[in-house]
Amino acid sequence: MSRSSLRLSRRDWLRLSAAGVIGYSMSGWLENLASAVAASPERKRSCILLWMNGGPSQMDTFDLKPGHKNGGPYKEIATSVPGIKISEHLPQIARQMKEMVLVRSMRTKEADHGRATYQMRTGYLPGGAVSYPTLGSLLSKELEQPGAALPSFVSIAPYRFFSPAAYNSGFLGPRYAPLVVGENQQSLIPIPGRQNNVEDSLKVPDIARPEGVSGEREAARIDLLRQMQDDFVRTRPALPAESQRSAYQRAVTLMQSRATKAFELDDEPKKLRDAYGRNLFGQGCLLARRLVEQGVPFVEVTLSNTANLTLGWDTHINNFEAVKKLSEVLDSGWATLMNDLRQRGLLESTLIVWMGEFGRTPKINDNRGRDHWANSWTTALAGGGIKCGQVIGKTSADGMEVADRPIGVQDFLATIAVALGIDTKKQNNSNVGRPIRIADPAAKPIQEVLA
Amino acid sequence: MLARSFLALVALSALMLCGASAVAPKGPDSANLSGDVEKLTATIDRLIAQRWGETMTAPAPLADDAEFLRRVHLDLTGRIPSVEEARTFLADRRPDKRARLVEQLLGSSRYVAHFINVWRQLLLPEAGNNFQVRIQQSSFEAWLKQMIAKNAGYDEMARELLNLPLDKSGTEIDLFLGNAATPLAFYVAKEFKPENLAASTARVFLGIKIECAQCHNHPFAEWNREQFWGFAAFFGGVRSKRTQDFVLPDKEIKEKRELVIPGTERFAQARFLNGVEPVWKSKSTSRGTLADWMTAPGNPYFSRAAVNRVWEYFLGTGLVDPVDEMVGGDHRPSHPELLDVLAHEFAAHRFDVKFLIRAITASQAYQLSSAANQPEAPARELFARMPLRGLTAEQMFDSVAAATGYRDRGNDDNYLAGLLGGQRSARAEFLTRFGAQTERAVEAQTSILQALSLMNGKVIAAATSLEDSETLAAVVEAPFVATEERIATLYLAVLSREPQAEEVKRAVQFVNDAGKRRKGSKKEALADVFWALLNSPEFIVNH
Repeated sequence: MSRSSLRLSRRDWLRLSAAGVIGYSMSGWLENLASAVAASPERKRSCILLWMNGGPSQMDTFDLKPGHKNGGPYKEIATSVPGIKISEHLPQIARQMKEMVLVRSMRTKEADHGRATYQMRTGYLPGGAVSYPTLGSLLSKELEQPGAALPSFVSIAPYRFFSPAAYNSGFLGPRYAPLVVGENQQSLIPIPGRQNNVEDSLKVPDIARPEGVSGEREAARIDLLRQMQDDFVRTRPALPAESQRSAYQRAVTLMQSRATKAFELDDEPKKLRDAYGRNLFGQGCLLARRLVEQGVPFVEVTLSNTANLTLGWDTHINNFEAVKKLSEVLDSGWATLMNDLRQRGLLESTLIVWMGEFGRTPKINDNRGRDHWANSWTTALAGGGIKCGQVIGKTSADGMEVADRPIGVQDFLATIAVALGIDTKKQNNSNVGRPIRIADPAAKPIQEVLA
Repeated sequence: MLARSFLALVALSALMLCGASAVAPKGPDSANLSGDVEKLTATIDRLIAQRWGETMTAPAPLADDAEFLRRVHLDLTGRIPSVEEARTFLADRRPDKRARLVEQLLGSSRYVAHFINVWRQLLLPEAGNNFQVRIQQSSFEAWLKQMIAKNAGYDEMARELLNLPLDKSGTEIDLFLGNAATPLAFYVAKEFKPENLAASTARVFLGIKIECAQCHNHPFAEWNREQFWGFAAFFGGVRSKRTQDFVLPDKEIKEKRELVIPGTERFAQARFLNGVEPVWKSKSTSRGTLADWMTAPGNPYFSRAAVNRVWEYFLGTGLVDPVDEMVGGDHRPSHPELLDVLAHEFAAHRFDVKFLIRAITASQAYQLSSAANQPEAPARELFARMPLRGLTAEQMFDSVAAATGYRDRGNDDNYLAGLLGGQRSARAEFLTRFGAQTERAVEAQTSILQALSLMNGKVIAAATSLEDSETLAAVVEAPFVATEERIATLYLAVLSREPQAEEVKRAVQFVNDAGKRRKGSKKEALADVFWALLNSPEFIVNH
C-alpha cells in the first residue's frame, strides 16, 4: 500500500485529511500516534441516544399533572431523589433518578414529525441548501478513536420514515455515516407472516461473505481488488478514489475483526438479556452497551414500533394504553442499561440522552389521545459528565406553558456536546462552502447541568 | 464587485423598460443548428485555453475513446455502455463518432429516464427530508418525464413550475395515489409558504441566495430584508391548510402582490430583485408575472444560473462556484466571458438543454482525460483535467445491471408499497441503502456499509455467481476461448475498455493460481476477477 508517487496539491491534501482519508491510509508515525491515543487512559466519553420516535407524552412519563383535568389516569411515584416524581409505569427508571436529569421545560416550535425530527436531530430546520449532519455523525466525528475497528457511530433500529435526511451524515459525507442495524424491523404497519427476529436483525448487514465463497477465495479476491485500487489511485489521486479505497480497508478490517463479536448478543447471560427486555429496543440497549464497551463513541437506539403499536409514541388515539406498553419496554431497557454500564464502570464516561421530536398536547382529545405539542415538553439526560439528580425548569399547572427556564433545541444539543467534552466552537466545512460550528453561536448550554 | 452589480442593475432596468415578457426570438432552423453548436464549442475551447495560457497550465491529454465512451454514457444515460455498445463504438473509424454518439444517446429513452433524476435532484432536494414530498415524488417525476421527453425549453419548465394552478390540485387521495403528472411536490416541499418558495426560486433558477435576508439585514449582503419579502410577495397569495399530518393547498389569492414583513406592520410590495416594480398587466397573476420576468431572454440571472449548473454537472465545478451563490461575496466567475457567451447562446436557442449539452460534451475540457499527467493537480476551476465524480445510487445500480445482465425480479418501485411491506425491487432497496448524494459529486465518498453491500450484498453476489449472472455465464462457458480473451471481455463489460497487457497478465496469473490450488476452480476465479472489477474504484466513479 505504497503512497502514490504523485504529490497531491495542498488543497487536495487538506480536503483529504478533512475527510479522514489520508489519516487512515498513512503508515508510519501517524499510526503510532493513533495507537498511543487509543491506549491513553483519558478515554473520551461515549454517548447513547435513546430516540423516542413519534414524540413521547411528557404528561404521562416525566411531568405528570395528577388531579388536573389534563392529567390522565396515571399515578405519580417517588424516585430515588426526594421530591422528584415520575410515572408509576417507570418504576425501574425511578430508582435511577440519582443519576439522571429531567429537562421539563423544552420549548420548541415545530409540531410536524418531519420538520421536528430533522430539527431535534440536526439542530436546524430542513429546507435550505445546507445538508446538516445528524447529531451522531457530528459528535462521533469529534469523539472517534483513530484506527478503531468498529465505526464510530452505530444506529440501532432507526425509523427513518418521517425524515430520512435527519439520520444522515449530511455535509460530513459517508465517512461519518452511521453503521445501521435493525432497520427493516420497523415497517409502517404490521406485516402478517413477517416475524420479527430481533437477534438476526441486530447484526451488521452484509458483514459475512456470500454463501459458497470460502475464506481462501475471499482473501484472494480482496487481494486482487487491492491491486486494482492501488493502480487507480496512483493514476487518479483524488477524493472519490481515495475514499473508496479507505472505506474498503475499513470494511475489510471490520469483516475480519474480532470486534464484530460485539454484535453477537448470544454471548450474554440469558438472565441479563431477559432483564433488558426481549424486544428490539431492549436488545438494542444491550447492543449499545456492548458497543460502548468496545469504544464506540456514539450509539443511538430508537424506540418506535413495539408490542403491536405501529406508530410508536405518536399516540393520537388511546394514549394511555399505548404509553403504558411503551413505558414497560422503555423502563426495562433503559434502567437495565444504566445498571449494566454502572457495574462495568462505564456509566461515568457515558452520557445517555432521552428525547423525541416533540411532546404531546396536555389536553386529552376526543379519542383519549394526545396530539403533537412543541410548546412545553420533556427530555432527559443520564450518566456521566453532568450534575445528576435534578430537574431543570417546570411547566404550568395545566402543562400548557413553560413556567420556568425555557430550553430551546440548540441549547439542549449544545449541552450534550459540552457534557461530552466537545468544543462547540469548532467548525466543519459545509456543502455550501460555509463553515458551520458544532453548536450555533446563539446556543446557551444549560449551565446547571454541566459538571 | 460594485461595478458589476451596477451593470447588472442597469441591464435589469433596461429589461424592465422593454417589458418583462419579451417573446423569445425564434430558434434558428436546424440546418444552422449544428453550425451553432460547433461555434459555441470553439468559443468554449478558445476561452478555456486562454486561461491555461495565462496560468501556464498544461492540460491533461484528451481522453481516449474508451474513457470518453464510459463518461458520456454515465452523464447522459446514467449507466455504463453494454459490451456490444462498447465494441461498436471502439471499432467505429469515423472521425465524428463522438458527436454521433452524443446524438444517439440524447435521442434515447435512457436519456429521459436519467435526466428525470438529474432535474429532480435539483428541483426537489427535499425528497429526503419530508415524507409527504417523498410520496408525491412519482407525480413530480411523471411531470419531468413529459417535459424532458418533448425536450421542453428550460424556460418552459420553470414557467410551468412557477405558474402551476394550485386551487384544483385535488384531495389528499389524489395527492397520495401519485397518478397525476404534476410538479406540485415543489410547493409541498416548501410547505406552500411564500418565503420558502421565494428562497428556493431564487436559489434554483437565479443562482441567488437571499434567504439570509429573511430574518434580518446583513451589513455586506446584496439584498436586505425589505427586498427579500418584496420578492416573496410574488407568492403572497399562496395558501395552505394543514391536517394533522399533511399540508394541502388552499384557495389562492392570485393577484395578491404584498406581504407583511413578520414582526412588523409594514407591507412589502412585490418587487423584482433589482427593486423595480413590475408592470402589472390586466389578468396577470403575481406568480405568472414573476415567471415571465425570470424567463425573459434578457434576464441577467436565469440563463447564467442554468448554464452554470449544466456546466457543473458535466465538469464537476461551476464557472461560478458555488452554483447556488452566483451573486455576492467573492464568488466571481472563473471565466466571465465564457459564462456570458453560454448564457446568451442558451437563451438564443430557446433554452434548449440539448443544445448546451452538445456544445459542452464536444468541448476539449469535457474530453480531457482524468488521469494525472503531472504531480501537482491543477486548480479545479481551470478545467485542465477531468475530475473524478462519484456516481449516484441510481447510476451505480443501473451500471451494475448493465455490466452483469442482472434482472431485477422485484417489480415494485413504489415507495408506499415498500413501506407497507410489499415486495420491493432490488433496485429500490439498493437506492435506500445508498441514499441520496448529499455531497458534491467531485467530493463523493464511500461509506463502510456501501462497501460491505457491494462486496457481500445479494445484488453483487447474484451478479457474480456462475449460476445467476448472464454476462459471467456467457464469458465462462463460451467454448474454445483463451483465458486472456475471457478476461478482456470482463474488462469490457465492467470498465468499458480493453485491459492493458499487465492487467491481463495479472488476471491470468490469478486464474491459473486458483486452478493450481484446487482443480476445477478456474471458473470460480474468473468470477472473482469479475467481482474485483465490480468493486474497483474505476467502476464506482465517473472518470
